[in-house]
Amino acid sequence: MTSKTKSLVLSLGLAALLAGCGHPSNTSKEADHRIADAKMESMLDSMPDSPVHTIVMPHDEPVFPPGPGRDEFVTACVVCHSPRYITMQPRFSRTTWLGEVNKMKDVYGAHISDEQVQRITDYLVSINGKAGTGRAPKGAYGE
Amino acid sequence: MNRRGFLQLVGATGVAALTASCNRINSVVGSLSSPTNLIRFPEKTEMILLTDRPPQLETPLHYFRQDLTPNEAFFVRWHLEGVPTSVDLRTFRLNVSGHVRQPLRLSVDDLRSQFEPVSIVAVNQCSGNSRSFFEPRVPGGQWKHGAVGNAKWTGVPMKSILDRAQVRSGAVDVSFNGLDVPPLPSVSDFVKALSIDHAWDGEVMIAYAMNDQPLPLVNGFPLRLVVPGWYGTYWVKALSDITVLPRAFSNFWTDKAYRIPNAPNGTEPPKDLAKDTIPINRFNVRSIFVRPDPDEIVHPGTLTEIEGIAFDSGYGIRRVEVSTDGGATWADARLDPEIGKYSWRRWRASWTPRSSGQYRLMARATNAVGDTQSKEQWNRSGFMWNVIQQVDVKVG
Repeated sequence: MTSKTKSLVLSLGLAALLAGCGHPSNTSKEADHRIADAKMESMLDSMPDSPVHTIVMPHDEPVFPPGPGRDEFVTACVVCHSPRYITMQPRFSRTTWLGEVNKMKDVYGAHISDEQVQRITDYLVSINGKAGTGRAPKGAYGE
Repeated sequence: MNRRGFLQLVGATGVAALTASCNRINSVVGSLSSPTNLIRFPEKTEMILLTDRPPQLETPLHYFRQDLTPNEAFFVRWHLEGVPTSVDLRTFRLNVSGHVRQPLRLSVDDLRSQFEPVSIVAVNQCSGNSRSFFEPRVPGGQWKHGAVGNAKWTGVPMKSILDRAQVRSGAVDVSFNGLDVPPLPSVSDFVKALSIDHAWDGEVMIAYAMNDQPLPLVNGFPLRLVVPGWYGTYWVKALSDITVLPRAFSNFWTDKAYRIPNAPNGTEPPKDLAKDTIPINRFNVRSIFVRPDPDEIVHPGTLTEIEGIAFDSGYGIRRVEVSTDGGATWADARLDPEIGKYSWRRWRASWTPRSSGQYRLMARATNAVGDTQSKEQWNRSGFMWNVIQQVDVKVG
């Protein structure tokens, strides 16, 4: 493989993100390379006599398709957590996704305007929503 | 295929984030349909990836064939983006302050050399372990059964620390903070608390070793709070600050998060949510199948060993019953010797299916005070799953 997608995140406080793209990240070849990278990092990290214990976190963040609300989603959500917080969820109703976005804003303290709440919800429903208006698990903090 | 990768870095200049431009669009559905995505973090083996930032990594089930879960395979769950990635033992100190006469600043060497070490084998289980099995589904970390592990923890009893700090009269709670930090100032730091009586019970401890080795950094190096029999949310990682309080502790992580219905087994109906909630606390009773593997094919007329683990909050597992016919009949499993009251206990049963076909295996554990597992359970946060597990096995 002459080049490969690589995600890196600086561990400098608020610095976030980059998304790799170009091919699906779940192919076995890609996984092999990821594991190889992590092994190399582990070896570099392991200095048993050193009082300083340091690791480098690997990142494996999925790429999100274009659509209305994507920019708001990436700006407001991905700064604090991997988009895998979305992709690991089952398909939820709009009501549930709206509850999740509001929870991030009102409870966890994400910087999201009311207008952005709607745009982000639209986007989440478009990529991982389901039809119907299932009951929102109100007050659920999915720790 | 054009395998062009994009590397984009955002400086540490604020909360700006970049979007990546792509020459080929991947459907997010691709990752949704991937059943198991493995990843290897530093000091860890291949783990099931839930999220990479902050990391949530699940232990592959086959590791539960060992009584002690290897450090490299022990599950990982952080809450905040600011996970510590470097610890300098020359400068790291455990601070003990607040409602005490003698505030302390202890290095890891101090803990190792100035206190009598104690060891305990104890299960640590995430509050949301098995969340993905709740119906209706609930948001949150979509764990299967691998957000749990059993380890030998070695360190200093919390009681010894509090005694040295000379707690003042009128202490109510003790709060525990780690090196992790919120990604934004508006996000609540992850701090948990125990009552002074609980912290002083002689069992709660500060571990500097896990299975006789330093903890992996993502499991809480250099120090981790160990709260035997209680859910993992209290086992604060990279523990750095202990504060004794003359009042009840209060923050987001105790007042709003990690709460369960104040009802038997933390259960509530999806359409009539409980108004009265309490902080999650002790483990309920549960068992987990370890073998046969979910995709293992069993042969008719062949002796097949069934095996699993069971644990509770410390009363002790006294009985495990196994059914191989979907719950119509049950037989007692054999229990391995008890390792310790906070350890899990292995159980085994022998099974010779007579003919080919689909079989449904079930296991039900009961502890020393008669608590057992139920067929139905639900709560809005997906906590404390302990429904009688069903494993469908193909015999042929």
